[in-house]
Amino acid sequence: MKLVTFVSDYKMTVDTLDRLKPEKLGIILCQNGVFHATTKENGNSSSLLNYTADYYVLKEDLESRGLTAENVVDDKVKVITFGDIVDLMFNEYDKTAWL
Amino acid sequence: MATTKLGFIVQRPGLKSENQKLALTHAIASQSVEIYLDDDDEVLCDVAFIGDGVLNCIKDQKTLENYDLNSTESHVKMGLLCDLNIFVCKEDLEKFGLSESDIVMDANEIGGDMDVRVVPYDEITKMMEEMNHLLFF
Repeated sequence: MKLVTFVSDYKMTVDTLDRLKPEKLGIILCQNGVFHATTKENGNSSSLLNYTADYYVLKEDLESRGLTAENVVDDKVKVITFGDIVDLMFNEYDKTAWL
Repeated sequence: MATTKLGFIVQRPGLKSENQKLALTHAIASQSVEIYLDDDDEVLCDVAFIGDGVLNCIKDQKTLENYDLNSTESHVKMGLLCDLNIFVCKEDLEKFGLSESDIVMDANEIGGDMDVRVVPYDEITKMMEEMNHLLFF
């Protein structure tokens, strides 16, 4: 299964991502999930960035929070737009999930 | 004469919910409630951003451009324009690697005289102890 997962919260209390074993995993950071891409707590990047996955962060939601691509702390996170999300969902992944 | 002090504590990041805007809107609305009070009565409000809530204060928010929504930044500035005391926890800002230069600090462009005050959590605790009612968002 090729799964793309939307992460829309900053503090997550579920371990669903640990249990998912797709052959290909994409993680789209949106809404308050964008803070995973931009924020270090006590100097440490978010543990959400430790999965073997393709990471994306939504440009519009970064900007809405006063952030830009320059604030993204890890090179593996790609900044994308709503249009790019549609392309990913239709061309790269079989299923979508929202956490 | 009776003074009622309200403390609004914002501890969650914004936009996922309306929490942070509700806190600021209620605090701002307190300035107009006096028409319903006796002459000598008043309501005073302070607002404090703590924990993940400090992320609401990052400046240059572009919600209007992207979603046609007023930003939390604009609500903070309206609060300053209404002479609310707005505090941001220094330790929590530092935890996220942020400083005063990263957050909205004043509302000079719309005529606000007050500045956001970045203070240690001890000072916010002191503020909370002085309040009659605390509302957490």
